[in-house]
Amino acid sequence: MKEAYLELKDLTKSFGNDADKVVAVDHINLQVKEGDLVTLLGPSGCGKTTTLRMIAGFHTPTGGDVYIDGVSMNQIPPNKRPTAMVFQNYALFPHMTVFENIAYGLRIRKESNDEVKRKVEDIMRLIGLENLGDRQPRQLSGGQQQRVSLARALVMEPKVLLFDEPLSNLDAKLRVSTRLEIRKLQQRVGITSVYVTHDQEEAMTLSDKVVIMDRGLIQQVGSPAEIYSHPVNRFVAGFIGKANFLQAVVDSVESAQLVLQFLGKKIVAPRWNKEIKTGDEVLIVARPESILPEHPNEELVEGVVVNSVYFGSQMLYEVELLDHTVLQIEVADPQYHPIFTQGHKVGLAFKDRSLHVLPMEK
Amino acid sequence: MKHQGRSTIQRINEIKKLIQEPFLLISILVIFYLLILFVIFPIYQVFKTSLSYDGHFSLKNYSDVLRQSYYIKPLFNSMILGVLVATIGTLVGFVFAYAITRTPMKAKGAFRLIATFPMVSPPFVVALACILLFGRSGIFAGAIGNIYGLTGLTIVEVIAYAPTAFLALVGVLQAIDPALEEAAMDCGASRIKIFKTIILPLATPGIVSAWLLVFIQSLADFGNPMILSGDFSVLSVQAYLQITGMYDLARGSTLAILLLVPTVVAFYLQKYLLSKKSYVTVTGKPTSATIKNLEWYIKYPVYAFCMLFALIVLLFYSMVVWGSFQKLWGVDSTLTLRNYVQMWRVGKNYIIDSLYISAIITPITGILSMFIAYLITRKQFFGRNAMEFSSMLTFAVPGTVVGIGYILAFNTPSPLMPITLTGTGFIIMALLVFRNLPVGIRNGVAAIEQIDPSIEEASIDLGADSGLTFRKITLPMITPAFFSGLANCFVRSMTAISAIIFVVSGRWNFITVAVLGFVDNSQYAQAAAMSLLLIAIVLLALGLIKFVTDKMGRGMQSTSIIE
Repeated sequence: MKEAYLELKDLTKSFGNDADKVVAVDHINLQVKEGDLVTLLGPSGCGKTTTLRMIAGFHTPTGGDVYIDGVSMNQIPPNKRPTAMVFQNYALFPHMTVFENIAYGLRIRKESNDEVKRKVEDIMRLIGLENLGDRQPRQLSGGQQQRVSLARALVMEPKVLLFDEPLSNLDAKLRVSTRLEIRKLQQRVGITSVYVTHDQEEAMTLSDKVVIMDRGLIQQVGSPAEIYSHPVNRFVAGFIGKANFLQAVVDSVESAQLVLQFLGKKIVAPRWNKEIKTGDEVLIVARPESILPEHPNEELVEGVVVNSVYFGSQMLYEVELLDHTVLQIEVADPQYHPIFTQGHKVGLAFKDRSLHVLPMEK
Repeated sequence: MKHQGRSTIQRINEIKKLIQEPFLLISILVIFYLLILFVIFPIYQVFKTSLSYDGHFSLKNYSDVLRQSYYIKPLFNSMILGVLVATIGTLVGFVFAYAITRTPMKAKGAFRLIATFPMVSPPFVVALACILLFGRSGIFAGAIGNIYGLTGLTIVEVIAYAPTAFLALVGVLQAIDPALEEAAMDCGASRIKIFKTIILPLATPGIVSAWLLVFIQSLADFGNPMILSGDFSVLSVQAYLQITGMYDLARGSTLAILLLVPTVVAFYLQKYLLSKKSYVTVTGKPTSATIKNLEWYIKYPVYAFCMLFALIVLLFYSMVVWGSFQKLWGVDSTLTLRNYVQMWRVGKNYIIDSLYISAIITPITGILSMFIAYLITRKQFFGRNAMEFSSMLTFAVPGTVVGIGYILAFNTPSPLMPITLTGTGFIIMALLVFRNLPVGIRNGVAAIEQIDPSIEEASIDLGADSGLTFRKITLPMITPAFFSGLANCFVRSMTAISAIIFVVSGRWNFITVAVLGFVDNSQYAQAAAMSLLLIAIVLLALGLIKFVTDKMGRGMQSTSIIE
């Protein structure tokens, strides 16, 4: 397995002229291991699609380069690159049958008829499109069109498979089942893939690695668990999952944990960032499930329930603190815990091992 | 500085990629050469000739022309005629468009057909019919006074060009969501109030643009004034007479430029208006229930108007049919086929030449226009805007100007074209190709813009280069537009006259020129016979192409170009 099968070096893309120039992708560097599926995740306009299109060759980089298996791609036009893309709207050729759509690239490569037939039929079996070969794209459901698009890309046996928000046109239920299928298929074929999405759940469930982008910059690269539990900044913490942010001051630093001062109470959190010192102002990232409302006592941060919603399997609270910040809290298995309603005074227990501390950003 | 460097790198990369696609690069270069040679160069020659005197740069031609009433009159006449025809034509077109889109009128198909028929018939047929009806030996001789002049020309050009306004306005009215009218009615507005406060304001840019289109066509019209203008001289005909009658190239060119300027101004004004059609809301088909119970006092006047106009059109065309079978119009009304025999004897070569040339240029124009449409909508290359501009230029330039330009440009060899083209069949073909190109390109651009670019990207992603992608993906998807482009080109080429008349020669001639010749000799019956033959050929070709597209279209019909 090559560590840097796909590599982006200082990749940059700006649109427009000097005066009203927009930097869509700003000197990003990324290495993707052979066989990995990496998602580019971020809000719209973060540069993820531009990056994908530079890998495919549809955008010419303003600077930097793309390497696939050690070969520079800059001078290679999109039709000569070892990439294949699954498009957001599938981009099936409306005047060709399903079979001809999938066979298209092979025919361009001038493979023999027998070879084309064998490969196309194999891939159709693999993807579950048997017996649909003679259909026109418009006779297929959205999910089926999506599979054809995937088959058309896979059959080329590209070195890198690219996905441009492929599930965004499917309904919610189909989206969940299809993404599991894509993941299974990708692992079975072992193909290096780059997957663009703005859906964090999709990114979390699909990827070996998630690349969080914002305003043309890579914010963080890591496994889904790393990103969720140890976001490097407030943007990532807020973008992946829900998060409460609490401003605190470091009371003392111990070898494995930090003791923090928050609204006159002490909170303990794991010491992850070694640069944080006593007296620093910091931001505590507390996920809604990492806080537990209890009956008030001396030790706990005080608050008042302003809203509570019962879901059966969980309970959602909004609790207002003395400084008027409102925290989102989720309690699983509410039957096991005391239940509070609007107006109740509560004490908040922080599950110390789940907390994450960030240095204060300017 | 840093930015500059980057964009240079980008440009170099673009050029490098272009070099990797030699087919694309060579095509672009060839197209540019052809556009410069056959579009820019002739028009440049007209300007140059009008601006030189005794071999020097001078405005003398213009001051001469503008000082003498003999020359200035055609300018005024053309303008007056243009304004009259545009105003009446737009009105007629609007009423028809309203009837088709907003009333439950019966036999809409028939009305639509009659209203658009003058578009496919040769432009001067209506003038011919006018002579047969109201001329000196016409059925209603003297009924509307002297038809050789403003009155006759206005009637004839309104019939000939109201269809243009009609088609443009159908589009405009269709784009106005009937839900708006229903909403206004819901608020208590009456029909007339709705018309004044909703439909008219929304349609205004479209109406003005239709007006300008008709104005341009009237200015550029050559066939009708050639037959009917009499003492009422107009620019297009004067420019022609200066050149062919007096061999005064400078003065002819000057008049041509005087004709060109208002036309081009009107054209760009019209384009500008269309690009600004800000409010038009395209939200589906007008399947309004409200049109079913339209008040009688709106319905019946509209119906009556449409009926009247349709009858006039039918009367004019049936006059041509009737006339073609008469022994001697107005004198001896014995029915005979003699006119057809005579017409065939005299005009056989003209007919064969026209067919031959049109048959050759139609596919060439079709393919070239689709390819250029593809380049300018889908490819980024240096000079793309210049290519778009120059390929669309001939659309705005009156045929007379183009014809004069071709004479000036190709009578002698030049660095761009080392051999003399005048007198060859090739010059006629080149002229027709480049005159018909803009319509084809416009249709092509519209069709291509409906195709999601990612479909083409998918093809490139799978290994096809630009050329292959165009052939295997884009072309099949724009086939319907391609064939309607072919039909259009064939019709326009067979019925062309204003520019063609300058480049025909003894060896290569054209059917429309022959008809004008018959009219010139007052052989109206033969002219009618030949016009009918021409109309028959055009309809046959249209039918054939429709048959072919329907056949192939079956699988493609709802290609449902994924949005």
